[in-house]
Amino acid sequence: MVQFLQQLVNGLSIGSVYALMAVGYSLVYSIMNFSNFAHGAVIMLGAYFGFYSLTLLRLPFGVSFVLAAVGTGLVAVLLERLAYKPLRERRAPFLYFIITAMGASIFIENLVVATIGPTYKTYPAVFGQGPIQLGALSIGRIDLTMFVVSAISLTALMIFIDRTKMGKAIQASAYNMKASALMGINTDRVIIIVFALGGALAGVAGVLFGMKYLVYPQIGNITNKSFIAAVFGGLGSLPGALIGSVLLALIETFVSGYLSSQYRDLIGFVILIAMLVVRPTGIMGKSAEDKA
Amino acid sequence: MDAYIQGIIILTGINLLAVLGLSVLTGFTGLFSFGHAGFMAIGAYVGAIFSSKLGLPFAAAIVAAAAGAGAVSVLIGRLTLKLKGDYFCIATLGFGEAIRLILNNWKWAGGARGWDNLPASVTIWNVLIVDAIAVVLVWNLLNSRHGRNMVAVREEELAAQMAGVNVFRYKMIALFVSAALAGMAGAFMGHYMTYITPKLFNMVKSTDLTIIVIFGGLGSVSGSILGTLLLTALPEIFRAFSQWRLVFYGLAVIVIMVGRPQGLIGGMELTPAGIRKIAAERRAKSALAAAAKAAEQGGEE
Amino acid sequence: MSAILEIRGLTKRFGGLAAVNDVSFDVREGGISGLIGPNGAGKTTIFNLVTGVYKVTAGTISFAGRPIADLEPYKIAAAGITRTFQNIRLFKNLSAFDNVLTACHTGAKYGLAESMLRLPRYWREEKALRAKADELLGIMGLADRRDVTANNLPYGLQRRLEITRALALGPKLLLLDEPAAGMNPDETEQLMRLIGKIRDDFRLSVLVIEHHMDLIMGVCEHIHVLNFGCTLADGSPGDVANDPKVVEAYLGSEEGKKSC
Repeated sequence: MVQFLQQLVNGLSIGSVYALMAVGYSLVYSIMNFSNFAHGAVIMLGAYFGFYSLTLLRLPFGVSFVLAAVGTGLVAVLLERLAYKPLRERRAPFLYFIITAMGASIFIENLVVATIGPTYKTYPAVFGQGPIQLGALSIGRIDLTMFVVSAISLTALMIFIDRTKMGKAIQASAYNMKASALMGINTDRVIIIVFALGGALAGVAGVLFGMKYLVYPQIGNITNKSFIAAVFGGLGSLPGALIGSVLLALIETFVSGYLSSQYRDLIGFVILIAMLVVRPTGIMGKSAEDKA
Repeated sequence: MDAYIQGIIILTGINLLAVLGLSVLTGFTGLFSFGHAGFMAIGAYVGAIFSSKLGLPFAAAIVAAAAGAGAVSVLIGRLTLKLKGDYFCIATLGFGEAIRLILNNWKWAGGARGWDNLPASVTIWNVLIVDAIAVVLVWNLLNSRHGRNMVAVREEELAAQMAGVNVFRYKMIALFVSAALAGMAGAFMGHYMTYITPKLFNMVKSTDLTIIVIFGGLGSVSGSILGTLLLTALPEIFRAFSQWRLVFYGLAVIVIMVGRPQGLIGGMELTPAGIRKIAAERRAKSALAAAAKAAEQGGEE
Repeated sequence: MSAILEIRGLTKRFGGLAAVNDVSFDVREGGISGLIGPNGAGKTTIFNLVTGVYKVTAGTISFAGRPIADLEPYKIAAAGITRTFQNIRLFKNLSAFDNVLTACHTGAKYGLAESMLRLPRYWREEKALRAKADELLGIMGLADRRDVTANNLPYGLQRRLEITRALALGPKLLLLDEPAAGMNPDETEQLMRLIGKIRDDFRLSVLVIEHHMDLIMGVCEHIHVLNFGCTLADGSPGDVANDPKVVEAYLGSEEGKKSC
């Protein structure tokens, strides 16, 4: 039983980071209707921004954190303005967006390798060492941090989307971009805000990820998980991304704990393909028939 | 000939097989895949089994490689070809990664360390001959009613259905051809480098292939050939600049997509007939414009 | 006179909404029928049901005596029903000739191997296909535009090309979805004559969705009127034009009905 709860705790903390990544990804998808494959590179930049804020600039953790999120938010908006906006204006098919995103991902990743170098970096132990004991369960300090920070960030995001005027504008645009523009919503501004938010979430995820594991240029590959989680929960649905992430992390953790860690990464892709075959719109998705 | 140059030609030739196949799937049928390295991997390992474990000649190995990859593609196709564009992309990504991970854990085939001591069966001649045959066969396929049906699927899937095209069947054919060619390329790669590891067939490789197809120009066989030549040979020549090479590569992709999405020679062929066709289209267009202008000046009621 | 298309009790629901509700009518063999109704009445939905794009919720569709509801679209096309679209769906980047040539594919039987190896049958059949495509373009007055990219054709000719493409499969029933959309009275007049000519020369039946009343009244022998997915009236143009229900639906009343 303790083993089970322990795995549950592990799963939830990893799930919270997946959730941050997946929600940011799904947010952009809901507005733009394409898979932003550059999301991973932005996450990676978040890890580096946070790392250098802490070690080079010697800023306190809270500030570094915010700085990383702001930095990645800016990068995301820059990417949108320079690369995606021209494509949007040209009404390019979505596949061009995907390729451009991949190009951006390769560019950013290798820029880091070429300038900073490929060696792994480790975050300083900001919260001290050793796990926290809760009865028979031990929770890593970082795991707890991940969970708490993710929960706060996501709650803040949900409140923003649900309660604020801009949030409603985002919802409207996600539903129908053209109609929203006709209703007087500044869709261009909505897109900028969405990318900024998605980028900021990516930055937070990056810092957390870097803290738990290591900082290296290929962190972006972990976004495969966020794609799977987002599809699992239903592409474009934020609650879906959340649920999908947590479920995916839990499944992975249990498979890894009870079967073998060899299969941990594989199970994600098996779920992905199974999901696409059985119910491509995911847990929370709705289906739509093509109108002639 | 300099061994270094021979090496570049062989690598280009091997890539060309995979790119040719992917061109059929992506450039002509409009389906994007980010997992074709997975088919290369299947071909590489099947080829290795045939040559190393079964001791059969190289020719048998590459046929088996193509058949094996093709067979898997039929299975994958059944599951994923009915999905909409975005979802199909993600499925191929999942497939490519899944294959890599399975091979990583398959101890019998070497696991993550891979399989070495494969026979060095590849020469510049068998690469070029197989390439030539592949180009001819693919070209013939694309310039037939079957190729036109694939293009119809790419252009307007619904209208293609209404024009009697069995869209699913043609997507499957395109997938099979692309997988078989990728599998063959994988086997060639293994028997050139004499070793294979799962890491060789990762998502970066899949993405590279798709980028070459786009760079060369969608819907153009000559574009794919030219694209493969440039994007395989140039990086090899610039290998000295190693890391920055990839930085510029990524930047180049963005620039092409935003600035020149039709790639080098998208939608046309660099052959006498292809050029004549473009000339005819241009002439017809200006004739139309001239006629419209004359009508305007003549006054309309 | 037998019916080439028999629709009985056709119903299509999207979630809770019935886009088409218990509609029945016939298209007479060799006749030109019209399907009219205000926007959103379900006309294109019926086309989509007949051509297999949508699955039928209830009801039957018979074509030349065979039930065709829920068959794969390409099979229905091969059986002899082809169509044009409300928003033109030409293969925009292909030339006019290639648009028609592609649709001619059912006229050939050579397989993948025969095309790859360029066996004699390929050459024979390809030659015939190309000749047929050129012939069709000639009949439809598009021969001098054969090399123009479909996207560059003027709007009226694009619509004509779409019809030409639909004819390439040798259909027995041609479905035209708002073929006169965006046309001026002159062009509409031309189109009317073209539709009649196609029916006579190609010996087929036609079902037209249209809003242009002069085209419908001028060319259709039978009209079926829809409103909110239900049948409002059915009969000859004269009958329908004088039917008070039709007049009301088109002119509307203060508290309009929202369903039937």
